[in-house]
Amino acid sequence: MAEILFSSWGGEVVDNRDKEGQDLEPVNSVELPEYFRQDEAVKALMGWYGLVIRDPETDVVDLSRVYMKEIQEKSCGKCFLCRIGTRVMAETLERICQGQGKPQDLEVLGRLAESIQESSKCNIGQSGPVPILHALEHFAEKFEAAINDKKAVPAGSYHSKLTAPCMDACPIHLDIPTYVECIKEGRFQDSLDVIREKLPLPGVVGRVCVRPCEEHCRRMNLDAPISIKFLKRFVADYELGKGKEPEFEIEPSEKTGKVAIVGAGPSGVTCAYHLARKGHDVTVYERFDEPGGMSAMGIPDYRLPRPILREEVDRIERMGVKFNYETVVGKDIKLSQLEADNDAVFIAIGAHLGTTMGVEGEEENYDGYISGVQYLLDINQGRDPYPAGKKVVVVGGGNVAIDCVRCSFRVDKPDVNLVYRRTKNEMPADHVEIHDAEEEKVNFHYLTHPVKIIAENGKVVGLECVRMELGEADESGRRRPVAVEGSEFVIDCDIVVPAIGQTMDLSLLEGREDVKTTRWKTIVVDELTKQSDEPKIFSGGDCETGPGALITACAGGRTAAFSIDKMINGRSLEYSEDDYFDKFFKKVKVYDQSEDIGFLGGRERKELEMLDPDTRKFTNDEVEQGFSIQDAMAEADRCLRCYRVATVKV
Amino acid sequence: MVTLTIDGKEVTVPQGTTILEAAKSVDIRIPTLCYHERLNPIGSCRMCVVEIDGFGHPMAACTTPVEDGIEVTTNSDRLTRIRQDSLKLILVNHPLDCPICDKGGECLLQDLVYEHGIDKVEYTAAKVDRDSLYATPLIRYWPDRCIMCLRCVTACQEIKGIGAISIEGDGYGAQVVAVDPEICQSCGECLQVCPTGALTADLSRYRGRTWLIDRVPTTCTYCGCGCQLELNVQNNQVIAVTTKDGVGVNQGSLCVKGRFGYEFINSDDRLKTPMIKQNGEFQEASWDEALSLVAEKFSAIKAEHGGGAIGGLTSARCSNEENYLFQKFMRAAIGTNNVDHCARL
Repeated sequence: MAEILFSSWGGEVVDNRDKEGQDLEPVNSVELPEYFRQDEAVKALMGWYGLVIRDPETDVVDLSRVYMKEIQEKSCGKCFLCRIGTRVMAETLERICQGQGKPQDLEVLGRLAESIQESSKCNIGQSGPVPILHALEHFAEKFEAAINDKKAVPAGSYHSKLTAPCMDACPIHLDIPTYVECIKEGRFQDSLDVIREKLPLPGVVGRVCVRPCEEHCRRMNLDAPISIKFLKRFVADYELGKGKEPEFEIEPSEKTGKVAIVGAGPSGVTCAYHLARKGHDVTVYERFDEPGGMSAMGIPDYRLPRPILREEVDRIERMGVKFNYETVVGKDIKLSQLEADNDAVFIAIGAHLGTTMGVEGEEENYDGYISGVQYLLDINQGRDPYPAGKKVVVVGGGNVAIDCVRCSFRVDKPDVNLVYRRTKNEMPADHVEIHDAEEEKVNFHYLTHPVKIIAENGKVVGLECVRMELGEADESGRRRPVAVEGSEFVIDCDIVVPAIGQTMDLSLLEGREDVKTTRWKTIVVDELTKQSDEPKIFSGGDCETGPGALITACAGGRTAAFSIDKMINGRSLEYSEDDYFDKFFKKVKVYDQSEDIGFLGGRERKELEMLDPDTRKFTNDEVEQGFSIQDAMAEADRCLRCYRVATVKV
Repeated sequence: MVTLTIDGKEVTVPQGTTILEAAKSVDIRIPTLCYHERLNPIGSCRMCVVEIDGFGHPMAACTTPVEDGIEVTTNSDRLTRIRQDSLKLILVNHPLDCPICDKGGECLLQDLVYEHGIDKVEYTAAKVDRDSLYATPLIRYWPDRCIMCLRCVTACQEIKGIGAISIEGDGYGAQVVAVDPEICQSCGECLQVCPTGALTADLSRYRGRTWLIDRVPTTCTYCGCGCQLELNVQNNQVIAVTTKDGVGVNQGSLCVKGRFGYEFINSDDRLKTPMIKQNGEFQEASWDEALSLVAEKFSAIKAEHGGGAIGGLTSARCSNEENYLFQKFMRAAIGTNNVDHCARL
């Protein structure tokens, strides 16, 4: 990689300007990508933590001008220093670059940068002047020269973007700081409008999201992350409670067309919503008799009450999207038919098949052996999957496994066990879910691995397991569990539920070699456009990514909708600047867990009221009770509004 | 309870108290501009920044709750610089029209600029032409005087629960606009909390300097709520109505009638004595004459047709006590149950 000439990123100053060969110092605080677009080398970066220069030709003064202009444009105007101060700075830099700088300009810039950075209300103002201060300190001679020469500085070529740690972490890039701020100000409907700009399912996602945003919430560096998920739920519930019908803005594209969507899960529904907003004629085909896909069939009612999901999808139906339920594409209607009848087809069929554990007895079809997804599907459709069974062992450590154990109590199975081969620390399930399952008194068997299903007369009577211990770390960084010889033991049970993974039922693609799939049975599409090799076919959600988060599925649906709209309008599906920034921010991290923010923290995160574990576990009532207005506003007030801008010179 | 020190002074306050409130409780004054006691802290002006020992960033005292053991400093060179910069930036393109500003003399910005000794502003920015995007026939908005402290927006949302005004635009172009003019009731809550002359009562424009006005406390007569207000009187003319924060049942709030419906007081058409119609024309009369006439007529009707022939209609503008007395009078003195009240209709 080309050497970095100068970096002040995160306070680590590396100055290689007068160094060569072995004396060149490495930069540890940031990894600057070599290219922005394929044909655009990254020459320099100015952003929230400082200034990084690779190309010696970079004009720091011009870079500062462009960056500061961007900061001013992104300033919300809600505090004095940032609103006016960044304007004064931006205009001063503009003047300097036009060759009209004055000797006192540098002092003004320095003083203002310091005041704005020290006391602005949010991170736009707090982080905005940081690289300018670095530039003034380390490149003073460049600024002085620009002022003294009285000549215009040639303007370079740049890309700028506003982001925030939470926004960047969110797969659909919800504008979290803004919708949280709306809640803080009591403007709940405005908050929903911000969410719905991207996501039509705030009530669903506000309940079951795995919330990568909260793991990247900068407030965590002070005390605890903002309760972003439940704030989203709050505004959705508020609107529902008021019986308000949202007004969706429909702005038809120049050309509109017909689109078929296979699967009414989160991805399909989100895609339908965005296409409907652009005026397209959308029909969704769904094999079950109701919408939601995995969120309806896989997520139990005590976490996501079905009426919430139905109402949010009904609203999309009221926008004009047609839903054909109990229609299996591949059986009732061929994919080729959909292709012939529509301008595009979006496949979002989810991952509804359970994978097997590969243990003895699994192929025998014993009574009492049921895959995790089937187990949840039965329960969610109101059936007890195996009424005779009372003692359940679920195998796995993900959210589906936790849903299976917690559901078991609710269909009158009093003895519930979970077997996981690693320890609680390595469990991929949401820690809140694990905690709730513990409260409901699930028996957790950690470091335990199934070996054999024991049956009598064709019925499960036990699961033979072996004890494990953690060995060396594997490629995922987690320590690999190793069986302890001779430690076999049997857990008596009459139901065994493997919940160790899901896979796709790709029968709709039979005979369609043109639509490529991977060996994990996922559909191959372009990562950023969701288009397959067959131009009319797009795919997103679990069947494209493999079993993943609901919000990721929604994001895939949204991306596909935009691509489909472009295609119908005859525009090329090339990547946008935002797509390239997505890639850029995978390297230049937007959130730094070790950052010392320098604020006083200690403001407690508001927690939801929960139903009592001893009674809730026998009902399907929603366990978590939403925020009150007061709590929601207080929680929203904890947001630090960590907006920040990056300007990349190319 | 939480104990902290502010400028070396030990303070014990309940958990959840802000640094600003804690300081106030021991008579330490921290300058504020956007802060208003009746509103949730806004944090837009950054005047109340304080330093907390061990934390690199100055923090706004109005929005920061106290923590046990923290040591707060409310004055330092750095804080003074920040406060001065905040004020100087506000003065960039702020019109110096104090001589004709209705707020002159009780403008918080004026006071703070004076207090911080700001005699020149070295910062400049191109002026942005701003339209008055928020105004009603009663409320005048002076966009160039607006410092965007957001008290008005917050009051409209938090006190009135209306949310007719908000901010639009970004950066220096951001300004207060009526996002939903239809729902604005011209109650004037916004101008009541405005610390500068950005929102003024248009009926009162150029009618009196703040330091020459007598403010006479009284009770609003429009309804039975009994809101407390001050008639702003100059030369025996009512030129405005203001309120005192936290006073009376209304705590400083008024409705459109209470705040702007005062012109009847000095109206030429206003009746000041009872009138008796004689020979087809109203003639001025004394109260004794008028009341005697009414009593005489009522007695005659009552004698001829009974008390039930008389009905009484009272007014929402009377107090509870007055309404009580009225029905008592109708029942006991007139002898009728035909009593009603306009607010019931």
